[in-house]
Amino acid sequence: MAVLEARNIIKEYQEGKERSRILHGVSLSVEPGEVVALEGPSGSGKTTLLQILGCILSATEGEVVVNGERVLQGKAQAQAELRKRHIGFVFQQYNLFPALTALENVQYALQVKGHKGPGAKQEAHRWIEEMGLGDRANYLPRDLSGGQKQRVAIARAVAGQPAVLLADEPTANLDSHVGEQVLQLFRQLATDHKRAVLIVTHDPKVREISDRVLRIRDGLIHA
Amino acid sequence: MVDLALRMLLHDRLRFVITVSGVAFAVNLILSQVGLFFGLLSNSSVIVRNIPAELWVTSKNTPNVDFAQAFPESYVNRVRSIPGVQRADNLIVTFLNITLPDGATEGTVTYAVEDFEAWHLPWKLESGDIRDRRRGNFMFTDASAVRRIGPFQTGDYRQVSGVRMRYAGRSLGATSFTTTPVSFLDYRLAQRMNSNLLEGNTTYILVKTEPGADLKAIKSEIQRRLPHNDVYTREEWAKRSDAYWIKNTGIGLNAYITVFLGILVGVVIVAQTLYTSTMEHIKEFGTVKAIGGSNADIYRILGRQAVVAAVIGFTIGALLTLAMKPGVSAIGLRLILPAPVWMTVGLGTLLMCLLSAGVSFRKVANIDPGLVFRS
Repeated sequence: MAVLEARNIIKEYQEGKERSRILHGVSLSVEPGEVVALEGPSGSGKTTLLQILGCILSATEGEVVVNGERVLQGKAQAQAELRKRHIGFVFQQYNLFPALTALENVQYALQVKGHKGPGAKQEAHRWIEEMGLGDRANYLPRDLSGGQKQRVAIARAVAGQPAVLLADEPTANLDSHVGEQVLQLFRQLATDHKRAVLIVTHDPKVREISDRVLRIRDGLIHA
Repeated sequence: MVDLALRMLLHDRLRFVITVSGVAFAVNLILSQVGLFFGLLSNSSVIVRNIPAELWVTSKNTPNVDFAQAFPESYVNRVRSIPGVQRADNLIVTFLNITLPDGATEGTVTYAVEDFEAWHLPWKLESGDIRDRRRGNFMFTDASAVRRIGPFQTGDYRQVSGVRMRYAGRSLGATSFTTTPVSFLDYRLAQRMNSNLLEGNTTYILVKTEPGADLKAIKSEIQRRLPHNDVYTREEWAKRSDAYWIKNTGIGLNAYITVFLGILVGVVIVAQTLYTSTMEHIKEFGTVKAIGGSNADIYRILGRQAVVAAVIGFTIGALLTLAMKPGVSAIGLRLILPAPVWMTVGLGTLLMCLLSAGVSFRKVANIDPGLVFRS
């Protein structure tokens, strides 16, 4: 059963007096343990779709279901709650908190998700170790390489056991070798931890670790 | 528990120093001005508060203790005969002129009673024996007068309103609002030295009541017997003296303006630095939202930063103010800061910082978590 499902998503923006349609009825689903790559040229609507699937943006029409819960479009509070419980994000720019160490970045995300105390610290440690950063746990982001930062970002995204991982161009700022290592981590998280992973990308290497590749062009998905 | 608010605040140390300095400056400005205000005010009523008289009888509409008007000294007998009055004595407060060794003349506000011990006047002596006042033309002058009349010692002679007087001692802590030197001398001597005005007259009647006596009833009875005088409790009289100087010298207005400016400076600096910091960390706040945090989570971060800035800024500002005390004292002024002032300024600082953070609250309430996808 799909943990992430989009049905006939339409997204329109008002630009002056014109309404422009970015997504023209997109449907997709991602199963637990599956890695899906979403490719498309710039301006095709892939980041908009990712934001709608991640409960950050509301669709104009259509339905999104995350882990069995229907997303109430236009209800920011309810969307934030769903995001907190079911979704982990990995961003192109890492977006780590510069004032916090690698470990604390993960621990803070757990705090936001309602996990506090020694248990949260242990879980943060476990994910940092799993990402191969045990010896960098107490480093600030400025002292980490791009690959290490992205691993911290992945650890932060998976901490708290979200069912869905959404990644936006996670290898765009990494060299190809480090990018491959990061992609292997996504594969591993899907296989070992049964996470549903959707990666928005331009990087052809993502195909190698994906179960399926979806292409989006002009607001429509072409399988 | 990860304290993101504190870590963000301390991460940019220079901005943190600027924020805390702004708060400390505002706190120091407010505390020092309020302290000086209370210090000056205490001068105006310090003698009233130190004389153990529960009631003061004054001439009609006397504005403050220094500006005394004469009335017949025999009125004291009408007060003494009231049941519940333990003791009532005349007190003369009058201005005399001291001729200084260089030929200049300086005024002195002089307090004169018959029984100084009974009224604890002066309440603190640096030198001399108060019993010497009756040995001749002797007077006691407060040590603080040095700034106005130059150095003087017990045993020195000065010409006072045409009479050669000898300093029998120096008191401590007896001051007037205008910094006019305060002196003490015998009641009858004071009458002789200003006989035109004070022959058979006094300027105040001090009243001590019996333990458990009904102060309000005694006050009413004195007022009934002396309808052309006013009667005040000690607190009423001290406040009336204070109020006169607040209203007529502008120190009250000056204090209000400075406190307002202090608050304004604090709000502007804290609001500006917190707002700039918020804008620079806007993507981090977007990330907090993207990972499921709510506006309340971000308000907590900003609120905590404001509280930390307030607490540290207040502490530094308060320590600076305490450090100023000896310097202020050296120029003859006093910083008086009662506990309620510390508490009010402390709470005010907290409110000021939270109010300043409010500007940032409005900004973060509208953060779009989607901004984390932009490079």
